[in-house]
Amino acid sequence: MKSCNFLLLPVAFLSLHAWGQEVSFNSSTLLQYWRQGTPGFETSTYSPATQFLEVDATGLGQEAISFHFYGWGRSDLAEQTRVTGKNTSDMVYGYVSYRAPKGNLEAQVGRIAVNQGVAIEQVDGGTFLADLIGGFTFSAFAGVPVHYRIFDESVQHDYEYQRDLIAGGRLGKRFDRFAELGLSFVQDGTYPGKKLNGYNTYDFTRRQMAVDIRVTPNTLLNMSGRTVFDIADRMDLPADTQANNARVAEHDYNLALRLNPQLGASLTYTERNFRAFYSGTTLPSLFNPQEPGTFRSQGVAFFIGAPTSRFQGVVDLKKTHRDSYGDSLRYGGELRGSVAPANLKYGVGLHRVNADAANYSGIVATFYGLAHTELQGWVTYEKDRMTAAFNAIHHHFDDPANPSLYGKGSLSEIVGALGYQATPDLKVSCDVIRGVSSLMQAETLFVMRADYHFGWARKEGVK
Amino acid sequence: MIRLLRNALLGLGLLGGLACGLLSPEKSFPNPHPSTLGMGQPVCTDCHEEGLKEGSSMLYSSFNHSPAFARDHKLPANRDSATCATCHPQSFCADCHTGKGVVSPALKLADRPDRISPHRGGYMTLHRIDGKMDPTSCYKCHGRSNNQTCIACHR
Repeated sequence: MKSCNFLLLPVAFLSLHAWGQEVSFNSSTLLQYWRQGTPGFETSTYSPATQFLEVDATGLGQEAISFHFYGWGRSDLAEQTRVTGKNTSDMVYGYVSYRAPKGNLEAQVGRIAVNQGVAIEQVDGGTFLADLIGGFTFSAFAGVPVHYRIFDESVQHDYEYQRDLIAGGRLGKRFDRFAELGLSFVQDGTYPGKKLNGYNTYDFTRRQMAVDIRVTPNTLLNMSGRTVFDIADRMDLPADTQANNARVAEHDYNLALRLNPQLGASLTYTERNFRAFYSGTTLPSLFNPQEPGTFRSQGVAFFIGAPTSRFQGVVDLKKTHRDSYGDSLRYGGELRGSVAPANLKYGVGLHRVNADAANYSGIVATFYGLAHTELQGWVTYEKDRMTAAFNAIHHHFDDPANPSLYGKGSLSEIVGALGYQATPDLKVSCDVIRGVSSLMQAETLFVMRADYHFGWARKEGVK
Repeated sequence: MIRLLRNALLGLGLLGGLACGLLSPEKSFPNPHPSTLGMGQPVCTDCHEEGLKEGSSMLYSSFNHSPAFARDHKLPANRDSATCATCHPQSFCADCHTGKGVVSPALKLADRPDRISPHRGGYMTLHRIDGKMDPTSCYKCHGRSNNQTCIACHR
């Protein structure tokens, strides 16, 4: 498939040259450099070069037909950074689209990125979206799911065999000003593990349905959320398993209140049942479908300041509970503001996390604390052709005995970025990131980037 | 498999054809947005009078990118990606949401700290703490895809 990605590109460019009325290319090149020292090993040097490319061509023969492509390629100029090899690439999407002048009707064919209700997928196939009479909306997609390399080469074949086809969609009904209801569905693969031979213990297929709702009776209240159901024909689990066999994968609801133009509030509730929620996982060692119990969280946040205000503040609190672990409570606040004449924006935040101790089963079973405090601040500044950004984050941990911390009680990361807009279509910048590795060893990362736009169309939208 | 795929695409075509017959007469949303928008969080009601967005059942103010909207954008995006596409190219979403990532969102957007992208600040260490408390928040991006970095340690 990888070779196909590269073959598609020149074909696409040829068609653009022949038919393109308005063509826009956006390119980002990132060159990273860092050295990493691991105690007991030689210091390694890494320098990957990553190229992102986005192509949008409209008016291909007809005004309503367009072509869109986005992908990247990466090559390690020094030591290897990824388990998949020194060179890798991906086509995120690449499709031909038809947009009708009425009803938001759109059809796409090619590699598409689907975001329709319960389905968030990369698919080689087609999709169709439209607003219908009577306030109904409809979207559907079908094709072959994009396959990724998974954890175990020995079951890669099963993974690709099981995920042979994907289809789904969403039907919605809008009630003007008041509400919207939706029903969505996805079937990912037609060969569940249960249908394969008895030696197969993995099930990479998924069949889920979701009901979503939005209620906005006035400008002061907005309630939205969804419930996802696992409706797959599952494999039987061993009799001694304690897995939660609930068919509800997820409840996820949010109630937003605008108390006055300067004050808003948001309440959230989430509940997830592991086996149903982890349906189709490719990493069961990390996302264990047999984990007993559920995960639940409740959150509240207050928002101070209108979107146009010079100052905006957030005060938030979130409580989580995982049956197999315990409770955590995260609370704190963030303030952000701007000084318009100077094109300066800034933000500061402080959060505290109180959490139950975690069980560490080593040679001697013991417990360690996860509680910590997070402090962060950032500034961005623009003047003429120059841009600058600075971001600092500091974490202080209550229990340095946490084995993840390697005896350290805190960690900090500082990011500085300096950019220069050389021409309206070319920006070059340099980032310096001073942080720590996964072994809590200090390291410095340098990033050179060049963002380049060219073509025969104005780049729209926002970044 | 080819037969199944053919049937699925045929079904999609039939459903599409049926939907065409029931198409709303409302004008489609402009794509891209007719006027150039600046950097940062857009406020729709700066230009659009408060009222229903044409072709939508929602008020313009519902799309104002307040801090609350930025935190809870997943539900409106799942329901109505056509509205997002009015201003955002799909690559904007792919900066964070993608099946096969190559650099973390925090690195890709290192020069945009205002976007509060995930995995800032020593996240290789922090993920062991967040993952204990709530592994389901990792699952959305790394559970079925985008986990080629995870497998280096989690096998």
